[in-house]
Amino acid sequence: MITSANRLRSVGWFVLLGLCFTLVLVLAFRVNALRSRVHHAEEKIVALKQEKLYLETEFETRANQQQLKAWNDVEFGYAAPGASQYLEGERQLASLSMPSTPDAPAPIRVASMDDSVIASAAFPAMVSPLSGKALASGDRKAGASDDDADDGPRAPRMGHAEAVETLNDRLGKVVEVSSGKPVRAETTSDKPRPVKAVKASAKKDADTSQKTAASQKTTAKTKPVEVANKSSAKKDTKPKAGTRKEAKATT
Amino acid sequence: MNALTASAAIASGRVRLANVRQRSLVEAKVRVLVVAALFAFVGLAALIRIAQLGFFEDAPERRSLTEALLPPRGEITDRNGFPLARAFPAYALWYNPKALGEKGSSLVKSPEEVAKALLQIFPDADYNDLVRRLKSDKPSYLRRRVMPEEANRLYALGEPALEFPRENQRYYPQGSLGAHVLGYVDGEGGGHVGMEQVLEKRLLDPAQRGTPIALSIDMRVQGALEDELGRGMMETEAKGAAGVILDVDTGEVVALASLPSFNPNRSDMAYNDLVFNKVTNQVYELGSTFKPFTVAAAIDDGVITDLSVRYPSNRPLAIGGFQIRDSHNFGASLNVPEALIHSSNIVTAQVADKLGGPALKRTMAALGMNERPYIELPARGFPLWPRGTDKNGDWARITTMTVSYGHGIAVTPLHLAAGYSALVNGGIWRPATLYKVDPAHVAAGRRVFKASTSARMRQLLRMIVVDGTGRSANAQGFRVGGKTGSAEKPGGKGGYNRTSLIATFAAAFPMDKPRYVVVAMLDEPKGTAATSFQRTAAWNTGPIVGRLIPRIGPLLGVVPDDSRDIDISDLSPLVGNGKGE
Repeated sequence: MITSANRLRSVGWFVLLGLCFTLVLVLAFRVNALRSRVHHAEEKIVALKQEKLYLETEFETRANQQQLKAWNDVEFGYAAPGASQYLEGERQLASLSMPSTPDAPAPIRVASMDDSVIASAAFPAMVSPLSGKALASGDRKAGASDDDADDGPRAPRMGHAEAVETLNDRLGKVVEVSSGKPVRAETTSDKPRPVKAVKASAKKDADTSQKTAASQKTTAKTKPVEVANKSSAKKDTKPKAGTRKEAKATT
Repeated sequence: MNALTASAAIASGRVRLANVRQRSLVEAKVRVLVVAALFAFVGLAALIRIAQLGFFEDAPERRSLTEALLPPRGEITDRNGFPLARAFPAYALWYNPKALGEKGSSLVKSPEEVAKALLQIFPDADYNDLVRRLKSDKPSYLRRRVMPEEANRLYALGEPALEFPRENQRYYPQGSLGAHVLGYVDGEGGGHVGMEQVLEKRLLDPAQRGTPIALSIDMRVQGALEDELGRGMMETEAKGAAGVILDVDTGEVVALASLPSFNPNRSDMAYNDLVFNKVTNQVYELGSTFKPFTVAAAIDDGVITDLSVRYPSNRPLAIGGFQIRDSHNFGASLNVPEALIHSSNIVTAQVADKLGGPALKRTMAALGMNERPYIELPARGFPLWPRGTDKNGDWARITTMTVSYGHGIAVTPLHLAAGYSALVNGGIWRPATLYKVDPAHVAAGRRVFKASTSARMRQLLRMIVVDGTGRSANAQGFRVGGKTGSAEKPGGKGGYNRTSLIATFAAAFPMDKPRYVVVAMLDEPKGTAATSFQRTAAWNTGPIVGRLIPRIGPLLGVVPDDSRDIDISDLSPLVGNGKGE
């Protein structure tokens, strides 16, 4: 019994040894297989890199400076850029823009997540030099009212919060002169005078508050009427291109 | 009985059986042991082999990836990383007569037909030579380098004897561009002429050749320089042309061209007279381009304190039986700005005379005009430096005067470019280099002129281009300043040949803050319709620079601007608007 148990144990050891051996063998095989796969991959990398180098060199050769020059002479005719094609900075870029006119296309507006951060940076809240606290919009209005008195009618100043809210609109807004119809009719007609008047009034104040807009409305409304009256006193106040031409013909 | 015998037999048989069983058991055990030992041996052998494969065999293979990607010769790139020279497994065309077996013809078609077909692919090949090679039994190269496209056409010929093995060769994707800077590699793999020779060790060093070397050359600028010089050379039917563009603050050579050039890709044909580098190796008397150096030395030395002082200019200056004359009469007198604008030898010689030989010599030596040019290239010419006559080694009076307008001293165009850099960059002379320089490690250089002198010279050089002989180089918006020089070549009657000139234009731009110096030179330009039948620099090299700068300026970060310029308002009242050389 003891011998059989001993035997069993030794057989067990052998089996265990065999098992370990097999496992090691399997592992060794797998490791080797992986190694050879890595090696193959490396070979492929080398081949591809050489191919890349080859293609790149061929590309460089076909597009070498002399070849590009020859193509440019025959096909493209590009010349080096002149001074007028360069801008020095945002300031010079901005100087190229034209003041917006009634017929101008809508300005391009760039999408953004949240304007309030930018707006609050653009309009930092006024801080009292004494208390160090942010001034309420009401205080500022009250303080500024004296100065405004002799300047004639002006828009009520916006509070900080309001400014932040409406910044988006104000930045992208064309001053719409809302006596639209007659003005547009004038722009298409051959007499530009009323439009000039509108332009002048539009340029007058860059500060686009509501009241100025309202005053522009009135100037825009009245001016074409005046012109129309000058050209043909009899006609009614709505000038049209056709009637004005007739009037011109008569005078 | 039967039963008895049977039982006895069984009894004895049982004993025997037990014996047999015992023996067979032992035998079986032995067999099992033997088999097991055999198996163990086989297993062990397999294991050892696997272990050997797994642990030892792989070691050399692991290195192979980096080794396979390591070029046999390092790559040279331009300053922006574009390859200028690389080791490249290009195709070669190899003729193998044994391709179709030992006996019989090696070609499918006749050698003449094959040679004709090859001639269509390679029009520059020699037909008779091809036929001779195709008829011979010896294997040989029919062509050392074949483009992939050509290899495809060769394949379509269907001749097994024409093989195109890939071989590692030196390849220059830009062709002849920058050939004098790069040089070439011969069939044995040795570098010659340019940086291939200089960097030979570094390019072959296994530890370093994996990383490309960046030169200071800008490939695009080099292309523009060669193109414009080539055009100028053709228009004026000149024998040769040379040009160099230097960064004034670092001494980096942005472009360097010597025309006519050679093709480094054809190393078998590369070694000829054209490898001679006109920019660094050939010395010339560069003429009037030296006048600004003289004036700068005089301002620096305090000899010229008032630029409005007038010098007589209407009659040739007679010094010791030698007459210094101008190209034509510029009137009774000229001041210094006018002398530069009209390029008057007479006035410059008088200024130099006032300055004195030692001071001029000192300045010229400080500008490196008495030694080989500082550059890495192996081909560097030694200047013809005038010998001193008295015991101190000082120049004779006449030598001082002729050197002041660029005669009697012969230097390379690179000397001139380095000198102009010092003239405009605030007065610091720096050695020229072909390596890309890190802005933090710019060579210290040496001060030759005061900063104030340099500022004055910038004004004067700009005036020459605005009002004087350099007008043809006045590229709009680039604020070019510079000086023409048309020197007669030595030889002929009276020591100089009146009809063969070296026309040079040395320019810097933008003058309000100089960044680059451009020197363009034509060797023996002729008066052609393109140059209004004039041979002087104002008509040939001036326009080259005028066309070149707008092309290279934007590439080098110099933006044309009509609203800027160097202020010359304090000097312009001194100048009448006459016409110069």
